[in-house]
Amino acid sequence: MNARAHPEAILCARGIVNKFGAQVIHDGLDLEVARGEIIGIAGRSGSGKSVLLKTLVGLRQPDAGDVLLNGKAVRSLGATEKAAQIGVLFQQGALFSSLSVAQNVMLPMREHTALQEKEQERIAAMKLALAGLPADSGIKYPSALSGGMVKRAALARALALDPKILFLDEPTADLDPIAASGIDALILQLNHSLGVTVVIVTHDLTTLFSVCGRIAVLVDRKITVGTAEELMKSDHPWMHEFFRGPRAQAAMKARKTSHGK
Amino acid sequence: MTSVPADKHQRSADRVLPALAVSGEGDHIALAGDLGLATLADAASALTNWSRRRSSRSLDLSGLGNLDTPGALFLCGLRDKEVKLTAVRAEHRALLELVCGLDLKPLPKAESVPRWRQLVIQLGKGADDAWHDAIAIITFVGRAASWTVNALLHPGCLRPAAISRHVAQTGIQALPIIGLMAVMIAVVIGYQGVAQLRPFGGEDFTINLVAVSVLREMGVLITAIMVAGRSGSAFTAEIGVMMAREEVDALTVMGIEPMQVLVVPRVIALVITLPLLTFFADLMGLLGGAAIAQSLLDVSPTQSRARRPQVIDGSDLFVGLVKAPVFAFFIAVIGCMHGLRVGGSAESVGKETTRAVVKSIFMVIVLDAFFSILFEKVGL
Repeated sequence: MNARAHPEAILCARGIVNKFGAQVIHDGLDLEVARGEIIGIAGRSGSGKSVLLKTLVGLRQPDAGDVLLNGKAVRSLGATEKAAQIGVLFQQGALFSSLSVAQNVMLPMREHTALQEKEQERIAAMKLALAGLPADSGIKYPSALSGGMVKRAALARALALDPKILFLDEPTADLDPIAASGIDALILQLNHSLGVTVVIVTHDLTTLFSVCGRIAVLVDRKITVGTAEELMKSDHPWMHEFFRGPRAQAAMKARKTSHGK
Repeated sequence: MTSVPADKHQRSADRVLPALAVSGEGDHIALAGDLGLATLADAASALTNWSRRRSSRSLDLSGLGNLDTPGALFLCGLRDKEVKLTAVRAEHRALLELVCGLDLKPLPKAESVPRWRQLVIQLGKGADDAWHDAIAIITFVGRAASWTVNALLHPGCLRPAAISRHVAQTGIQALPIIGLMAVMIAVVIGYQGVAQLRPFGGEDFTINLVAVSVLREMGVLITAIMVAGRSGSAFTAEIGVMMAREEVDALTVMGIEPMQVLVVPRVIALVITLPLLTFFADLMGLLGGAAIAQSLLDVSPTQSRARRPQVIDGSDLFVGLVKAPVFAFFIAVIGCMHGLRVGGSAESVGKETTRAVVKSIFMVIVLDAFFSILFEKVGL
């Protein structure tokens, strides 16, 4: 696993507290993400996964605690630096509907680099191919894309500036199993060949077991991190149910068979 | 060859920017430093001419530090021109293999059409759309009318709760703004009237002018336009969001007719509300007229009131009020029709709302013109 090769942490969240009024979502939560690893964030609905993701990418100021990216507070990063470091795949893709897919991918390059238009187009075509989209999808508009293609196009845009860390919010939600497996394979491939660190927020047990090296589980306003095998041994009732339930068993079995090949 | 700084303009003392160094002569060149988005332009300017040479060339990559995907793409481009990449470091190999292995085709260009042809195409499309639109409106107006009449004939199908909610939203909450606008319009007409009639010594007729124009035209027109912007758009947005979230489909599947539960209550509510609002606007307009008479002509409100029976009669009030339910029907029907036309996406809600408002205001003014001709013919 890449995580062992680069033990240094790229992202470090310390003592995160998030509240909505009197409701405490995160209470002194700590999380370290190692350079080059793929980490999954799981938790029950309403446990604050999306809030945590927003906090990690600097969209939300936590009520206490701080998030460091490469040792610098993520909210103090300049726009260009932030764009070059962080890529985010939003749950619905968040592709700009007034721009074509290629223009969506070129937008960060246009804003943050001095590259010629032609060069940008070449790079955009490469990113689309990298994300597994055919070249003719470049002139399509987001409304003409299927769910899986929207995720791929949004992933191509998230990769536009070759970020060091990629945040994926529910990358396989709403996808058919074939498209979901395609996304899983793509995440692994990108992590392997680009060396990009990946943080995945997901409910998808298959993604958690077959893609993520470590899993961070949000329970009781804190986070518990470990490999799938370690977390399976937990006696916490929710985690027990989550990792030992029938769906988890099936996903685990599938993983063992695919690893056995 | 010389060393090229990554970005000459942004170089600052406290930050080390990625830099690329090109060294060596002739056919064998070495790259050192970082090759990525920031240094791509420098690499291209340093190596493009070199890569066009016809001899066998090689590029030594042993000194290369960070390599990102655009950098890899550039190196793949060199490899396609038969430049040999030597001493590739292990950590770069996977990336190079991946990027070079991609099936890269240039982005297709969207078909460009000459401007004059675009004009013709748009004209044709516009005419076609207008034609289909006209048919759609007529059809929908017919359906809405038949459902409304059906509901009135079978009062069991009426939904009093929904109707009263819409009456409150479209009527009671609109009172302040409608009242204010009616007063303002009376003030505007009053000032214009005094200025135009004074040279003829007829500024006293301003009182007649304001009263007649508010009752016959302005009261109902301003109210209808305000309601079209305020409530017609709300109808489109409410129903549109329900369409986008498949709530309307859910109703249909449950055997509940959307026309009956979504359209009919809104139509009935607005047909009740708009005449009442118009009456309120008329009152406020007369009040504004009295205020203008007081301040510009020194005619006291009591005198204004005393003169009113000579100036206006029931037919003026009737001419204004009779138009209101007709306007209301069309505003509500057009608002609901566009709401039901919303597709699956959020942006179509905005698009249809705009269309609904434009179309219903247009409709109100066209109908008003028809009414003017009609009342002239029947001598009202």
